[in-house]
Amino acid sequence: MKKSLSILAASALAFCGLQMASASSTSNNDIVIISKDGAETAPTQVGKTQKSSNGTLFLRSTVEPSPSPTPKSAPKPQATPAPSVSKSAPKSVKPTPKTAADSKNPSIRIQKKSTPPPADADLDEYSHGATIADPAEPVNRGTFWLNHQLYNYVLRPVSKAYEFVLPSPARRAIHNVFENVEYPVRVVNHVLQFELKRADLETRKFVVNSVAGVGGILRVSDRIPELANIPSADTGQTFAKWGIGHGAYVVLPVLGPRSVRDTVGMAGDYALNPVSWLSYGGVSGATALAVSGPSAARNMNEKINLYDAATQNAIDPYIAVRTGYIQYREQAASR
Amino acid sequence: MKTLPVLIALAILAVIPRSFASSNAEAEDFLKKSVSEVVNISKSSPNSTALADSLRPLLMKTISFDAMTRRAVGPGWKQFTAEQQKESIRLFSTLIIRTYSGKFTPGELPEITYKAATSPTPERVEVSTMTLYKGSRYNVIYRLEEIDGWRITDVVIEGVSMVGNYRTQFDAEFKQGGADAVLKVLKKSVSAP
Repeated sequence: MKKSLSILAASALAFCGLQMASASSTSNNDIVIISKDGAETAPTQVGKTQKSSNGTLFLRSTVEPSPSPTPKSAPKPQATPAPSVSKSAPKSVKPTPKTAADSKNPSIRIQKKSTPPPADADLDEYSHGATIADPAEPVNRGTFWLNHQLYNYVLRPVSKAYEFVLPSPARRAIHNVFENVEYPVRVVNHVLQFELKRADLETRKFVVNSVAGVGGILRVSDRIPELANIPSADTGQTFAKWGIGHGAYVVLPVLGPRSVRDTVGMAGDYALNPVSWLSYGGVSGATALAVSGPSAARNMNEKINLYDAATQNAIDPYIAVRTGYIQYREQAASR
Repeated sequence: MKTLPVLIALAILAVIPRSFASSNAEAEDFLKKSVSEVVNISKSSPNSTALADSLRPLLMKTISFDAMTRRAVGPGWKQFTAEQQKESIRLFSTLIIRTYSGKFTPGELPEITYKAATSPTPERVEVSTMTLYKGSRYNVIYRLEEIDGWRITDVVIEGVSMVGNYRTQFDAEFKQGGADAVLKVLKKSVSAP
């Protein structure tokens, strides 16, 4: 509806433009007098008509037909390569020949404008996907390249060693424990997003997994349908729900892709994560490392897997990661 | 006499949801069967390369590579010659098979929970799944359309559309060098180990 209105408005403007252009180009600003004796040019004196003139005064341009539809000032219709488009193009685009009716009503001129070709819905489906401004792309590409080397030559071997040393059930247990411990991040953000029911479910899940799941090692909550699929929540998501936009895209050293909004959100998540509290909680460095070490290894392992999934078989890994990141975050914010 | 149009309208209303429901059920059954076959093949494959080779015949009749390639390229597709289109579909299908099979590690089996299929448009059915794989949960949505039978036209993992992701990559190449540039990068990616 809006589109058709704007097309109509554009047509009206273009039509007015045509009329004004023809008026100025043919010097038809003379005044004509239409009386029962016919039309004649009104004598003027320094731009003023004589007071004694009989009949009605009109601008000549409004009573005389313009010589042609002045195609120069009309916007050119776009090329229509597809056969289907030509079907929809109105036949009246060609200048219509003058008729007797035209000369009788010269000031009324209706010209249909050709509408732009309709976009091919099938091919155009993915044209309007999530995007993010990337003003620092050259710098980001440089950091991306450095991260790529770091992932491939340092973190991947560590990740492989982690997978080699720990069997899948042990890795799953570590994942479960740290996911359970990160409960404050989720519950606080559910509350900040005014999702109180989710905060309630999240609390129940935490209690069930901590008690029945032996400190979160087992995800007992998966067996309870209403606790099995609670949408995740983080600070960046909360900002999104508050209506804060992404800002620019940045690639952070080691940490990888973020938007400015999610970079700020990451600080919030860090502050809400109990694992990071250890560093400030008076425990020894060794204890803090013993606890945060597996968490870091698990995060790194998951990060490498995600990175591989996004970049393997990519045409341009940088664009693949950027698009993947923004699509992922858009979906997370829409839950 | 006035009751006749009302009855016709009611009859149409009664038939439409059923036809949608039956389409959804058909698409869902097709997907479940296909995914189950993929999982069975991945059980017996020794490595990722062998898995891609083993999956190819199944995926060729499960995925509409034609629709995927067309949409991944976008409106620029019309500027491809018939020969270039054919070549692009061939190369892109290899890339998609590798990408899809690369998501599976032989020996690691996913646990998949299917949700009820939905029809966002009359031509399309979406089946949302929750996949537990290697200890992590992923929301995976399969988009299906009826093209010579049911075919998968996109896979969306945690909001990341496979076709949408390639679209942004092809777009950049197409703007720089047209169809030739797209074919060049496709060949390069397919020939990469």
